Amino acid sequence: MRVVLSNNAGVPLYQQIKEQVGTAILSGELAEGSALPSVRALARDLRISIITTTRAYTELAAEGFIATIPGKGAYVLPMNSELVREQLLRQVEDGLQAALNAGRHAGLRRDDLIEILDGLMREDQQDAVR
Amino acid sequence: MCSDLAFALRGVRTTVGDNFALRDVSFELPTGYVMGLIGANGAGKTTTIRCLLGMRPIQTGEIELLGHRVPGPVALRQDVGVVLDHTYLVGEWRLVEVERALRPFYDRWDGSRYRQLLDTFGLDPRAKVKDLSRGMAMKLMITVALSHQARLLVFDEPTSGLDPVARDELVGIIGDFLLDEGHSVLFSTHITPDLDRIGDYVTLIHDGRIVRTGTKDEVLDAYRIVRGGPDDLSGLVGVQLIGARRTPTGAQALVRTEEADLLAERVLVEAPTLDDIAVHIGARVPHPDPGNGASRGPEPRRGAGRRQSDSSMPTREIA
Amino acid sequence: MTAIARTVVLDLRTAVAYRSQALLLFVVVALIEFKNPILLVPALALLAIPAIAAFPLQAADKAGLETLYAVLPVPRRSVLYGHYAWALATYLALAAAGAMFTLAFARAQADAFDGRTLLVVLTLSWAVFVVNVAIQFPLFIRFGHSRIGGLGTVLPVALIMAVIIKLHLTTRLHVTVASVQAWLPLVWVAGAVAIVASVAVAIAADTRRVR
Repeated sequence: MRVVLSNNAGVPLYQQIKEQVGTAILSGELAEGSALPSVRALARDLRISIITTTRAYTELAAEGFIATIPGKGAYVLPMNSELVREQLLRQVEDGLQAALNAGRHAGLRRDDLIEILDGLMREDQQDAVR
Repeated sequence: MCSDLAFALRGVRTTVGDNFALRDVSFELPTGYVMGLIGANGAGKTTTIRCLLGMRPIQTGEIELLGHRVPGPVALRQDVGVVLDHTYLVGEWRLVEVERALRPFYDRWDGSRYRQLLDTFGLDPRAKVKDLSRGMAMKLMITVALSHQARLLVFDEPTSGLDPVARDELVGIIGDFLLDEGHSVLFSTHITPDLDRIGDYVTLIHDGRIVRTGTKDEVLDAYRIVRGGPDDLSGLVGVQLIGARRTPTGAQALVRTEEADLLAERVLVEAPTLDDIAVHIGARVPHPDPGNGASRGPEPRRGAGRRQSDSSMPTREIA
Repeated sequence: MTAIARTVVLDLRTAVAYRSQALLLFVVVALIEFKNPILLVPALALLAIPAIAAFPLQAADKAGLETLYAVLPVPRRSVLYGHYAWALATYLALAAAGAMFTLAFARAQADAFDGRTLLVVLTLSWAVFVVNVAIQFPLFIRFGHSRIGGLGTVLPVALIMAVIIKLHLTTRLHVTVASVQAWLPLVWVAGAVAIVASVAVAIAADTRRVR
């Protein structure tokens, strides 16, 4: 498992852990059933407080990514399709939002954006056909 | 996770000499976590620790340590490791002799652990106690505490006088110790960056009183740093400025989060670091001019709901 | 009992750290008794034994051992008993060694002196030891060796000198082995009582000083 924390990100440490572990699980880097370090081992390794790591794990567990076993550690839960879909939807939204922001700066209107999107989808389809 | 307490102080009062006392000191630490006891020199950190360890009598209140009321049975000390800012061993002893001298007192002394830790910390068993540097002396005391398998480690100013490398090592040592969820750490300091990351709980002490105690996030959330122009922080009603600092170009102070909303819009309000909080709470209140004594700040509007212990915090209001 | 035994051993280990100081004292003692070996035991009792007995109390103050005693799982009272037990052990060991050395020396010189003389000398040294320890220890325990070391050392010596001068003035020192013999058991018993009283005073005066 790879967790890299930034002190200057303006994002709370627990949030950084949660996002990085969540991403690793969604991308399949952390396979179903694989064990995560215990809260205390992770806190020691990252040199952060136990409360912070506990919070990251608790939220990951609440969102269905992992299950924690008191006194033992945690492991990655099988990916629930609903959950994956939700996460993917969020990624789509984020991407579109970024496009929207860039478009606004470039002075693009709604139709221009849709045209670009259509064009991209056509290219995608052609790639798939080939 | 254990729900019981590593220790608790409730309403502790003790007088030290003629002009210092702990007053109504109450705070507690759940088993399995690290607490930082933060305060300036002379705030009462060492006195608090000595009360907790049963080294000095208290006048009122009660203290619970590892499930026993202090002063508890002497056997309680088997479970407590005490690391002070000085060694309390005979300077002429070599480190091998330290083990021989202390081992008979402890039921669970682990000699191989002692030698292994000396090795890990790079301490020469043939070295004499008096020849150790500050950092090495601290590591020796930690080695002793871990060798008798303490469940609670109490550090008094462990990092003062340590170089950054040694301080970083200490953070690692504490992390290792806390892998066991039955282990807890109390850590007094005036150097807060050590606690910014690993501290679970924080207790602020000033002038013998507990100013605030809670998880680190609770304590951080309780305050805001405010910065403004030279006059922006003057004449405010209902806002208590903690440790205000003024220069010709601007003013800075700590305020309680709930009071930050009352400040003018052009004042910059930011989340503080532990260091900000420690600096402002620990700031000395300058003596008011004799002729100006009445302007020592208006009674806060919402004073009724305020915690008793907060009222001793240094405040300064410029009329 | 085991707790007291442990603190006696701890006191021994503490005192060993002061061995160079002890060595110096032994050299001084050796110089004094150079001419008359019968002086060995009194010289030890006056110079070496009280100092060595007080080494742990000296260290308690200097090296912060009071803190160690407060941290170690040993009752405070056992620590105090241990200090006195250490002092008694010091006296017994050194007085016995001194007596044997004196006897051996006398035998080598074929200068067989009266065994009763040695007994008187031992009794005197016991009295000197008791006066020192009984006065010093409660003072050191209450106020700390570094604060009251000087007075604690001078006071018993002054007392002993005063008694000698007083005896000298009143009896013109008509002290012979025969004349004091009847008093010897009383000195031993009184000494023991004084030590017990001193322990009680020390416990009452102790404020659990911890640095």
